[in-house]
Amino acid sequence: MMLNVAIDRPDARWLPSRHRFAVARLIGYTRLGRARSAVERPEHLILSIDRDQTAGEMHLAAFWVIATVACYIAASLPFALPLSIVLSVPLAAIAIHLPVVLAGLTLRALTGDGDHIKLVSVMMMTLLLIASSYVATTRSWARYAAWLFFAILLLNGVAAIILWLLRGAIQEAEERCAR
Amino acid sequence: MTRSVWWRRFFVRGVFWRQLLRFAVLNVPPWIEPIVMAFWSTFFLVWGPGRRGVMRNLKVIKPGSLAITNVFRCYRVFWNYAWTIADNVRFKELRTIPDWEFTGREYFEEMQTRQGAILLTAHMGSYDLGAHLFSETSTRRIVMVRAPEADPQTREYEEHHSTDSLRIAFNTRATELALDLLETIREGGIVAIQGDRVTGSISSLPARLFGKPTTVPAGPFALALAARVPIYPVFVVRLGRRRYRLMTSRPIEITRSRNRDDDFARAIEQWMAELERVVQECWFQWFTFEPYWQEQAP
Repeated sequence: MMLNVAIDRPDARWLPSRHRFAVARLIGYTRLGRARSAVERPEHLILSIDRDQTAGEMHLAAFWVIATVACYIAASLPFALPLSIVLSVPLAAIAIHLPVVLAGLTLRALTGDGDHIKLVSVMMMTLLLIASSYVATTRSWARYAAWLFFAILLLNGVAAIILWLLRGAIQEAEERCAR
Repeated sequence: MTRSVWWRRFFVRGVFWRQLLRFAVLNVPPWIEPIVMAFWSTFFLVWGPGRRGVMRNLKVIKPGSLAITNVFRCYRVFWNYAWTIADNVRFKELRTIPDWEFTGREYFEEMQTRQGAILLTAHMGSYDLGAHLFSETSTRRIVMVRAPEADPQTREYEEHHSTDSLRIAFNTRATELALDLLETIREGGIVAIQGDRVTGSISSLPARLFGKPTTVPAGPFALALAARVPIYPVFVVRLGRRRYRLMTSRPIEITRSRNRDDDFARAIEQWMAELERVVQECWFQWFTFEPYWQEQAP
């Protein structure tokens, strides 16, 4: 079996190709140059080269998504703000599940059993964009969460442009590190 | 299909949850995965027998601990369990491998180079993922011995979704299995067995864990004695999201003497010391959902 891995290279943790979002890839690239290349502890290290490998990035993204959705839900609930905030967290978790389940089942019916992560991912981000566009135009306090959402998207866009400009250097650094 | 069979799918060990997990692995974007994990770990905290089993075990591992603290610890066990079973399905379905760190590498390599060995592990971290991955990367043939799923539909589902590279032998037909495993070792293969708890009617040996009497499967020790090979304690511990540590300890050699019980007792003592050390350190990854020390049950 061929595995796309970096062996005994702790600095490979920062490979841009181990990150999904442009901001994280750019941070990874800047850290890659400064990271240690020799393995000290543990005795042997195998790092998988996969876009979704980085824990910090994924947990942060998940926190951002649930916090944003919880804000939108809390702002729309007819209760006092503290109660709305408490209720909004489990409701946000359920609300995030629903489109995944519906899209997953629809895609399975249309295209058959298999990996639909990319399509579901695009659909989820589109839904977040639509919801944020709506909330951003309201006078609710949740509009700040929506503005933050767009600010993060903008930041990611800028990072993507920088990554594109640095693509040659990044590829070189990746090739040096991975095998 | 009868009504009782239809409902069985939704029991905690029913096939529905395996299908749901596979569906999630194939559809949930990684950037919302932690939300899904947190939600389902909370959902399974409602599973009374499992929660009580973990909490009862935690009381022994962490004496004097408060019940409320153990509820949160129990959540941590469920959280880790959710990630490890998801990583296992992800590897089977999408060939996504996690990051691996090794400790005790010299023992692990020794095990792979020698002619036949027994790999003794526990219901800890992602033992399934470790076995699947190393069966595909190792030059040695690996046979994993495990208890069959209690639910027939779940058993059928797991057999259908298993990979070809790893041979799984179920510990239901003891005599036949013992001969098969002996043959595997003599051909230079590695037999992986979980040696922390006795399931079903398999033969057992007395042991002590955390100062309390218990039993462990006799199979690995009897096999080691018959095949004259060492036992390598190996633990696959989850360090974080898609990150594992493979820990191999000094092998347990069973030397033949006039008294077979003493030979076993010495080997079991060494195994229990290793197990206790690892469980003490990584209690949040000991996936034992039944009370381990039965005499503790009210």
